[in-house]
Amino acid sequence: MSASDDSSPAKEGFAPSRRTMLALGAAAASTVVTIRPAFANTAVSVLNCQIPVPSPDQAGNYIAADGSVVPPGTPGAFPPAPRPLTGEEVKALLHNGPTPAGLDADAAQAYVKYIGRLHAGTSGFTCFASLQMPR
Amino acid sequence: MAGPRFVADPPEAVRTVAIETLTALYHRPSGTTHILAPPAPQILEALAGRPGDADALLRRMEERFDLASDDAPNAVAARLAELEAAGLVRRA
Amino acid sequence: MHRLELRIGPVSFRIGSAWQRPLDQLRRLYAGYPPAETPCDFTVRLEPARPWRRFVRPSLTITGDYWLPDTAPLPLSLGLLAAEMGMNLQMALGQRRYLLLHAAAVEREGRAVLMTGLSGAGKSTLAALLGERGWRFMGDEFALLGLDDGLLHAFPRAVSLKNEALPLFAGVVAERLGPLLEGTPKGTIRHLRPDREAIMRMDEPARPVLILFPRFGADLASAVRPVGAAEVFVRLTQASTNYVALAERGFAALTGLVTAVPGRAIDYANGGEAVALVETLWEETR
Repeated sequence: MSASDDSSPAKEGFAPSRRTMLALGAAAASTVVTIRPAFANTAVSVLNCQIPVPSPDQAGNYIAADGSVVPPGTPGAFPPAPRPLTGEEVKALLHNGPTPAGLDADAAQAYVKYIGRLHAGTSGFTCFASLQMPR
Repeated sequence: MAGPRFVADPPEAVRTVAIETLTALYHRPSGTTHILAPPAPQILEALAGRPGDADALLRRMEERFDLASDDAPNAVAARLAELEAAGLVRRA
Repeated sequence: MHRLELRIGPVSFRIGSAWQRPLDQLRRLYAGYPPAETPCDFTVRLEPARPWRRFVRPSLTITGDYWLPDTAPLPLSLGLLAAEMGMNLQMALGQRRYLLLHAAAVEREGRAVLMTGLSGAGKSTLAALLGERGWRFMGDEFALLGLDDGLLHAFPRAVSLKNEALPLFAGVVAERLGPLLEGTPKGTIRHLRPDREAIMRMDEPARPVLILFPRFGADLASAVRPVGAAEVFVRLTQASTNYVALAERGFAALTGLVTAVPGRAIDYANGGEAVALVETLWEETR
């Protein structure tokens, strides 16, 4: 490992061995960085991705203001997005950018919350994950 | 009272490469790569295949190093928590 | 299904398409490349987005040995781009014989420079420019690091150039340029075929001697800053699509690279400055 340690016995037993200093670090310090895969960043960025809201297996359901999927017609909830949202549109919405053409502003916010709840395996997740990675 | 005992995987379970003052570590059981700053690699060495609580750990490290710290117990606890979160040490 | 086989560096692709036209464009763009080695490493397919989309407002989806869900269909007019994206996708998801770095590479005298960290078009332009100024172009999208030899292996694909960058290449022979493609996710682009030297020498690897993190800005002053090896390591893990999949061999290859090769961040305001910085820093690695 990395810490150099010159405590090996000196030749002819002359010089005393010196121990290396080791700081334990402040309690709040960070000494371990775990490498996380960056797959989505480079692979999906080479493609034009899109996210259907809600996913095809939930087609027809409405999206509540908090992003959860609810039965159609639920009061206060929004109808499904008329078309899938492109990666660019979602990125803009995530950064408080303009509402994509053809979408209601409040509905768009609900869609963003829905997208934020996507997990691996759900349609649109790979696209969403790729938007999160810093470029 | 020095808290729980921790243990790290034996030396064959990891592969390390020194990169300047840091250590790149490949953890074979999980396939995960970590970058460690001192004293993390030294703690892993002291616990490799040998369980110990925070006190035992400090004693082992004092055999090889002059430890510098304003607050050794909290510092060691913090380092162990980081290593546990990374999956490099576990409770023994 | 129409077919075309193509070899780029050590990788052979089989591209199938429901339409002939994109393959004709691809064949012209890659004129002069060596024949594919069959069986091909990867297959790309351009298929109608829906059955009727073969004929009505034709649009295609990109698929192949490896594919991703959630991809938007592209119009047939961008079929050439779709084929390029499809090849990128196969490499990004399926390459296991080399550590893939999302980086451009050029070499001179067997000593290669890696350029990474920019969005695709920025480093592409710089690599292409260097290729026109006496450097051998080894690739602009993917750099292939040999797992056993630690050398960079060339993957000289056609470079995708943004419209604004095209005037920089006004001197190249028209035959090396692909069709003008409008309405792409990156705006208007054209592909540039690498020069004869890049094609003829694509099977010669080169030793990496410098890793650059270029930054372009119209008001940036020309500058060079060292980048520590640990930082280079972490940034390259983020610039690789197969580092994790390659497990310990990937770890060994990448740590070997960053401990042997210095990293530098460079700032520049135009292509001329960029080329000058690259050449100066490469000289210093002798």
